[in-house]
Amino acid sequence: MSDFAIEANQLVKKFPARPGTSNPSPLHPSPGGRGDGGEGDSEGSRKLKRRHWPFGRREPKAMFTAVNGVDLQIQRGEIFGLLGPNGAGKSTTIRMLCTLLEPTSGTARVNGFDIVKQANDVRRSLGTLLAGERSIYWKLSGRENLEYFAALYHIPQPIAKNRVEELIERMELKDRANELVEKYSTGMRQRVAVAKALLARPPILLLDEPTLGLDPQAARRLRELIAELKQEGHTILLTTHYMEEADLLSDRIGIIDSGKVIALDTPEGLKHRIEQKEVIRLEVTGWHDEIADKLKSISGIENLISRQEGEADLWEVNMQAHNSRAAIPRIVEHISGNGTRLVNMNIVKPSLEDVFIHLTGKALRD
Amino acid sequence: METSLSPRSLGQPGFLSDLRAFGAVLLREWRIFMRYPSWMIALFIWPLIFPMMYILTGRALSGPDGSGLEVFTQVTGATDFIGYIVIGTTVWMWQNIVLWDVGFSLRNEQMRGTLESNWLSPTWRFSYLLGHTGPQIISMLMFIGITALEFGLLFGVKLNGSVWMILLVMLAAIPAIYGLGFAFASLVITVKEANAFVFLIRGLVMIFCGITFPISLLPGWMQSFAMWLPPTYLIHGMRAAAFSNAGVTELLPDLIPLALFGVLWLILGYSAFLLMERRARRTGAIGQY
Repeated sequence: MSDFAIEANQLVKKFPARPGTSNPSPLHPSPGGRGDGGEGDSEGSRKLKRRHWPFGRREPKAMFTAVNGVDLQIQRGEIFGLLGPNGAGKSTTIRMLCTLLEPTSGTARVNGFDIVKQANDVRRSLGTLLAGERSIYWKLSGRENLEYFAALYHIPQPIAKNRVEELIERMELKDRANELVEKYSTGMRQRVAVAKALLARPPILLLDEPTLGLDPQAARRLRELIAELKQEGHTILLTTHYMEEADLLSDRIGIIDSGKVIALDTPEGLKHRIEQKEVIRLEVTGWHDEIADKLKSISGIENLISRQEGEADLWEVNMQAHNSRAAIPRIVEHISGNGTRLVNMNIVKPSLEDVFIHLTGKALRD
Repeated sequence: METSLSPRSLGQPGFLSDLRAFGAVLLREWRIFMRYPSWMIALFIWPLIFPMMYILTGRALSGPDGSGLEVFTQVTGATDFIGYIVIGTTVWMWQNIVLWDVGFSLRNEQMRGTLESNWLSPTWRFSYLLGHTGPQIISMLMFIGITALEFGLLFGVKLNGSVWMILLVMLAAIPAIYGLGFAFASLVITVKEANAFVFLIRGLVMIFCGITFPISLLPGWMQSFAMWLPPTYLIHGMRAAAFSNAGVTELLPDLIPLALFGVLWLILGYSAFLLMERRARRTGAIGQY
């Protein structure tokens, strides 16, 4: 048995590029906006190389590199957070690890099994939550769904029966377990999907955006459950758009961008990387691009990210500064006037999101 | 790091486990089928509507006294032109429904989002496709039974043969009809949209297989082509069993080709599925919609 729950060596995945599209990834985002819209690539291979092929021979297919040499070593029993902006290669990596996709090159082992040569053993070792509430049948009841998936995972019937009841109880679905899933709330459906992933008591769980679309209370309950699962000994590979969630749950975090793991450390270790910097957080109204350009030109200011808060004309602007005291007077000077108004300003400790911005130059939810 | 969890899951691989998983797919399909009650309406109305178009045309062409029907009898050997047409149109509808139902079964799962979660389990993946055929065959048998009942009651169509022989011919045709459905389902996952193929195939069956006329009326090359289409033998065999009281010996010229086509189409259907599965692992086609 391998020392690692998951081990990937130089995993590469290339897809044939779709001509004439700006998003050549074949992995479409779901209607809810989850998943990787367009997988990333490194500088060289990002450009679609379509060479001209003379004398009537077929032109070689242009390829798009979604994952470009990912190395991972995930310890047994740890929660490993995989973070990356849309199109970074998270979903492609996860899909390779759970055997839905075959790597173009490189190797990976899950629970000691090769993802290509021992795909069925890999599937037996994994509990997966990939498409959330869409991964279960809405025209079946919660109980029928679990009984169905228990059979697919080859769980002997008497064990399956007990296991289903146990999970229904644990997921607080007992009162409505016989109702059709279409009548459930999103949080309840997500709990059925999590129960499905736990049915076979797999040693490793792959949870792709488990709290996406859940209300805060349901998300909190699910995070508590993930922490409990770790206590029970499950290894968990978690992808999430929520930095606080990754920070709270993960023992280690890998940041993936353009198909490569660009940083891998504990949350504290990652934050330590930019400890010498300060983060200036502003709230402004009447924000426009010209002001962003002016602020970026201030010496010592970098990684400026702005995003609109809700429907109103209120913007949150984050920037990293080597010396905030020197920068603040110039920031205030640039913001005043031209219809822009400074509503609030704070200097805060770098969060994981600031580390992410520092490393990738973009916000996770861009 | 020490863990309290077994490094293996609860699942136990084996033939019996796969068989139970197949049973679970069948049960799931049956439950979902029963929870869309609108199929009941289709089950009673469609058997009447489609053949009526040909029956009324036949009545109009036979003249006010119906004397034209004698010519039809001379050409076809059938004394009951309504029964003759109903068998042809029912086979056409069977093939059509299989293409839509079985052919689009995986695609529908893909669009719902459940295909990936099935694909992630260690079960023999062909059972997802096979499982769709069970309720489909049952609903088709109900469809054919209701057709017989409706035309018997409303139009006085009477069987002059053995129901068992009709069932035997249908049984012989199942592998060919569903094998094509399996191949089609794999094609649909690959190309995402295959309505044009359904229209082409059902068009071929309509023209070449003699759903309302004997294929002897067709030009020679069309007759030769018709010999390559399993519904030709199914229609011919069912008519012989239903109205000419044909026994197994008389039906052999239809049963043998149907069995051979069945083997061929099952192999083609399974091969297409394996190719699709292999391609999907390379391209990520399972998760696309």
